Amino acid sequence: MKRHLFTSNKIRLVSSALAVVFALPLFWKGLAGLYTWFSPFILLHSVIVLKSFVWMNFLGMVVLVFSFMRKRWFCRYMCPVGYGCDLVSKYSIRRNFKLSRVPDFSKGLAIASLVAAAAGLPLFILLDPMALFHGFFSVFSGNKPFWVIVSFSGLPVLLAIHLFIPGVWCARICPLGGLQDLFGMARQTIRKTRSEKKRNSEFKGSGRRLFIASGLGIASGLLIPRYLHTSSYQRIRPPASLPSDLFNVLCIRCSNCVKACPTQIIDNNTDTSDPVAWMTPVVHFENSYCLENCNFCGRVCPTGAISPFSIDAKKKIVMALAVVHLEACLLTKRSECDRCKEACKYDAIKIEYLAEKNQMAPVVDNDKCIGCGACAVICPPFTIDMIPPEEIGF
Amino acid sequence: MQRRNFLTRLMLAGGAFTLGPACGRRINLEQTESSEANGDLSLITGNRITEPERQIPVLAETDVLVIGGGPSGAAAAIAASRTGAETWLVERYNHLGGLWTGGLVLPLLSTHGVDKENNRRQVIYGIGGEMSQRLKAVGMSIDEINPVIDPEAAKYVIEEMAREAGVKVLYHTWCANVIMDGPTIQGIFVENKSGRMALLAKVVIDCTGDGDIFHWAGDSYDLMKYHIGLVHRLGNVDRIDTGKPGYQPMSLGEPTPVPGVGWVNMRGKDDQNGVDALTLSELQTEYRLKIWEDVQKIRQTPGHEKVFLLDTASQLGVRVSRILEGEYRLSLEDSMTYKSFDDVIGICGAWTTMLYKGKRVAPAQRPMWQIPYRSLLPKKTENLLVAGRCFSYERDLVEDGRIIGTALITGHGAGAAAGLAIKERESVKNIDADKLKKLLKAQGAWLG
Repeated sequence: MKRHLFTSNKIRLVSSALAVVFALPLFWKGLAGLYTWFSPFILLHSVIVLKSFVWMNFLGMVVLVFSFMRKRWFCRYMCPVGYGCDLVSKYSIRRNFKLSRVPDFSKGLAIASLVAAAAGLPLFILLDPMALFHGFFSVFSGNKPFWVIVSFSGLPVLLAIHLFIPGVWCARICPLGGLQDLFGMARQTIRKTRSEKKRNSEFKGSGRRLFIASGLGIASGLLIPRYLHTSSYQRIRPPASLPSDLFNVLCIRCSNCVKACPTQIIDNNTDTSDPVAWMTPVVHFENSYCLENCNFCGRVCPTGAISPFSIDAKKKIVMALAVVHLEACLLTKRSECDRCKEACKYDAIKIEYLAEKNQMAPVVDNDKCIGCGACAVICPPFTIDMIPPEEIGF
Repeated sequence: MQRRNFLTRLMLAGGAFTLGPACGRRINLEQTESSEANGDLSLITGNRITEPERQIPVLAETDVLVIGGGPSGAAAAIAASRTGAETWLVERYNHLGGLWTGGLVLPLLSTHGVDKENNRRQVIYGIGGEMSQRLKAVGMSIDEINPVIDPEAAKYVIEEMAREAGVKVLYHTWCANVIMDGPTIQGIFVENKSGRMALLAKVVIDCTGDGDIFHWAGDSYDLMKYHIGLVHRLGNVDRIDTGKPGYQPMSLGEPTPVPGVGWVNMRGKDDQNGVDALTLSELQTEYRLKIWEDVQKIRQTPGHEKVFLLDTASQLGVRVSRILEGEYRLSLEDSMTYKSFDDVIGICGAWTTMLYKGKRVAPAQRPMWQIPYRSLLPKKTENLLVAGRCFSYERDLVEDGRIIGTALITGHGAGAAAGLAIKERESVKNIDADKLKKLLKAQGAWLG
């Protein structure tokens, strides 16, 4: 039998290798996590919740159209997670496991999640295989604390499960697969309706299940957000981030922004006081600041939790505010220092005469300060703090 | 008696006869001169006056002429004179050392930098290093890294070194203009108590700090507006009665080598033009009043009655003004990447925190950086070298380019280069970099 050069499995191998390259925090900062854009599951959530889309979403739309025409097109030709699962399943210790014993959750998860998204809560977006996959590879981007590594171990756990229950993820759980199945079914339905034949019983049964799933979805979308309110304390997020309540649920924890940030100021949140924000990106200004000519985090965010923004727009996007504590300020001690003023790219710090101190001192103009943190980083005695703005807005 | 009287009258008459016309002619001459200068309205057009042509005496014709006796000028003059070239130095005040001494900018910053092996080491040697050593020897320097010196001691030490080297210093003299022959500078006009005079030289070194010489010579530069302050010192800062009722701690400045004397810096107003006479005058008045009031506030605080204003600087602290756009412009990147030059004339350290590629680099981590000879050379003017805070660098390097340590290094390089050009009978643009490096090393400089 002649073996075809371009079997679906070989294409998927190449695709998986590419996905790993783009997922690793290596180079092409602007293309970090390219494969997250191919997931129609993420795309639909983003579009439904934010009611807008960006150019990169066309990648997901193309996949959506293909999966409408060919059954589970993404799974067969592109999915690196599926490839990994199949690979592990080959070495499963229970090869003759009957998959039919496991009920199919995938379509239910997909529809419940999308319906909930329409009600305001992208319920199962974290189960997207691309989210799991990219989150895992962010572990390689440097010294990560233990809890971060544990939190991003979704992919290896998933693969390990396949040693015991082969094939369970793709066929039974994966909401991305379920979504593609739904589209395939929709196509079937259209075809059936055209030929005016009787609907088959399988579809009837799944129709009831899908009805229940969507009902649960809309109920959870309406009810759960009430209990997800983040604490009043706001975090410093990357520029152009959504308000915290929405950010926490829409962020898929893919860590694309963490990998893309050229100065590595974005990190995963490990603050246990607010579990809803666990692993979401937060900004810290210990070693570096938010570069004035960079908009990578907005470009790589596949869900729109961080909106894409232009370099020009960045001058107006407030991410934090600088607060100078004059007690330790070198200038008020008459030292030769105005590093904060020189570092500020937005002309927000002026050296002014403060009559009450009888001293020259740096004064922050809150209308101009966007909170890039350059002053906090350069300040020799570290006397400038960056605080979250009362309201994140842009 | 009669004969004597007659003779006396005859002599008086004769004297009157000769004096009379002479006086008359003189008065007439003066009248015509004054009418030429002041009376002829055709010389005044709008708010500008055309200066009449006049003959200016040449005071001296020398090998090397250094304008400005600040750290860079003093180092340049000493270095040039030590090569055997006849060297004149023009200084507007009554002391050498400029802002370092009279300007009361006492800390000698940027003496240390981090080498490639990651050790923070001393980088300033040569003439500047020698000054620093001598100050230490007379016990008027504290701290090893970025030492703080005593201004009077530094005035003495530099004066002594200049005298030993045989520099001819012309004090109380203001450089008024340049003498050009096409693109080549021939000398300068100066003005002082003796009037206007000319100094001619084979090589001129611009150590004015404000780049007056290359400005008049028509070279291109970047005029940077920056902070201008006025430094002062307080006396009796060690005689504070902390037990007095109502006592509260006051800021009494930084310690200096002299016990009881506090050094008080002033960052001053930002965005000030350092080469605008009216700006300078206004700031001078404002700062003098402010400093006096500040010190009175201190004296009125219980326990501080004995503190007094020791002195204010003899000149305003103009940090930077004109920056030459020379053959090579040093940048912050050069200073952060150990960029090495074939024509290196000296190595500088760093004293302040910088952001480089988005990262914080503290002074203790900042690399030492090389200064190439080309950054002292103006693009157009021949026979001119530029040293001190106005040598050629980009604005992002201003914090390090304007510092006294850098001025000492560039001054030494320029002086040695001028001496070499005289010895080799070459133009300063054509001297051999290897010979220059050899000469600098022989004079004690450290080139890495």
